[in-house]
Amino acid sequence: MEFILDYYFDIGLMGDEFDSILAGFWVTVKLAVLSGIASLLWGLVLAVLRQLPGRAALPLRVITIAYIDVFRGIPLLLVLLLLSGSLSAFAFEGVIPTWLGQPTWLGEPTVFWYGILSLTITYGAYMAEVYRAGIEAVPRGQMEAARSVGMTHGQAMRYVIVPQAVRKVIPPLLNDFIALMKDTSLVVVIGAVEVVQAGRDVQSAFFNGSGLVLAAILFLLLTIPLARVVDRLIAREQARTERGGRPAPVAGGPAPAAGQSAG
Amino acid sequence: MAKRAQTDPNAAAMAGGAGSMLTLDGIHKSFGQLHVLRGIDLEVRRGQVICVIGPSGSGKSTLLRCINLLEPPDDGRILLEGKSIAGPDADEDVDFVRRRVGMVFQQFNLFPHRSALENVTIAQEKVLGRKRADARAKAEALLARVGLADKVNEFPDRLSGGQQQRVAIARALAMDPHVMLFDEVTSALDPELVTEVLDVMRELADEGMTMIVVTHEMGFARGVADHVAFIDEGVIVEEGEPHEVLGDPREERTKRFLGLVLGR
Repeated sequence: MEFILDYYFDIGLMGDEFDSILAGFWVTVKLAVLSGIASLLWGLVLAVLRQLPGRAALPLRVITIAYIDVFRGIPLLLVLLLLSGSLSAFAFEGVIPTWLGQPTWLGEPTVFWYGILSLTITYGAYMAEVYRAGIEAVPRGQMEAARSVGMTHGQAMRYVIVPQAVRKVIPPLLNDFIALMKDTSLVVVIGAVEVVQAGRDVQSAFFNGSGLVLAAILFLLLTIPLARVVDRLIAREQARTERGGRPAPVAGGPAPAAGQSAG
Repeated sequence: MAKRAQTDPNAAAMAGGAGSMLTLDGIHKSFGQLHVLRGIDLEVRRGQVICVIGPSGSGKSTLLRCINLLEPPDDGRILLEGKSIAGPDADEDVDFVRRRVGMVFQQFNLFPHRSALENVTIAQEKVLGRKRADARAKAEALLARVGLADKVNEFPDRLSGGQQQRVAIARALAMDPHVMLFDEVTSALDPELVTEVLDVMRELADEGMTMIVVTHEMGFARGVADHVAFIDEGVIVEEGEPHEVLGDPREERTKRFLGLVLGR
């Protein structure tokens, strides 16, 4: 019994290895924050491209939709392996410059940047779909009102549609961010040392899982508060809508879909 | 009527001079299988107030939406201040139209994430490039004019329907439109809030604004309009002065509609 408890919660070992685990967790946090910000932006770009109007933008829309379908449909692990393998091969063969194929920006190792890139490529596609749901939830009358005061499609998106859409989807975006944070651990397959790898190193050296448990605790210290924040945001949004956040169609007659009636 | 003149392009161009604000010539619009507008001709003179009445689904809203090109017409031509904006010879684009034509919607469509003041300033700044202070001064004056001087910093969800609709009118007026389109702007309002919106519109009409008003408010049409057009099934069935169309309609369909609406 004691062995079992010790295997998971060897406090002495946790203390001894705390620095190395924390160093790993710092890498995890950097991966999560950088790729989180990058995929938030990239996802928004994709979502806006997907909504471009008119026939001229059709090819761009098709490419965007194809991109989103592909990267939502394949495992992140596969993207990591393919991207790291191909970029280093291209750089080695001189097809692309080394600074691009084997980046070491900001003093971070190449695998770190492969991780950021893969996470951004994949989570950008996820987040694009979240933004899209938000954009489509903005009543059609908003775009019409914006156009009727002379705004271009781009201005209407920027000043009217996207600000409302983003507000609606902050909770699901944060959920995606939590998922992204956990998925950063996949970068171990390309040789990056983050918190899970640090815990694994402890496990191999001491035949004890306490390092991994410590890693799990560090994750939970961030993910559980984030989950509570999401809950609170959802509750607040609900309270807002119940109070009558939308200009509800009031008494007298059925509610016509905003601006769609042919009457 | 100017209607006959419109079939001849040269005459239409002449009609587009002097006092003509807007000329519609044979406007058609379909949504898929649904042929909503089936050849609308309409002449609007500067300063005129035209009320468009008709049963729901008759094409009234679509007509307004064609005029400011929210729904480009499939066929026919539109002259705005003598310039062709829709049709084979269209030489002006959407920007030209939207800077001259203001629109107010049934559902208000205020920007919910912006205060009343910002609703009125944002397009002034972003579209017309007015300075913030100028846009603000103009917005405050317009909000005061529609009776909302004390509500400038409120957000739309804190305003009643009537107040929201008056902000929407101020928002449209801020762009200095030459024509205002009103699309059943009181239909979504509680009955006691209708008057405050109609009063604003009446003042606007008195000041000489050119207005096309799609409405079910027959009292407003009778009291304010210079001209009433009755639309049914995508065509103008009957048009003329309010006392003619509303008081002594010639067409059977007009009589039937007015009978239903006025309950007589």
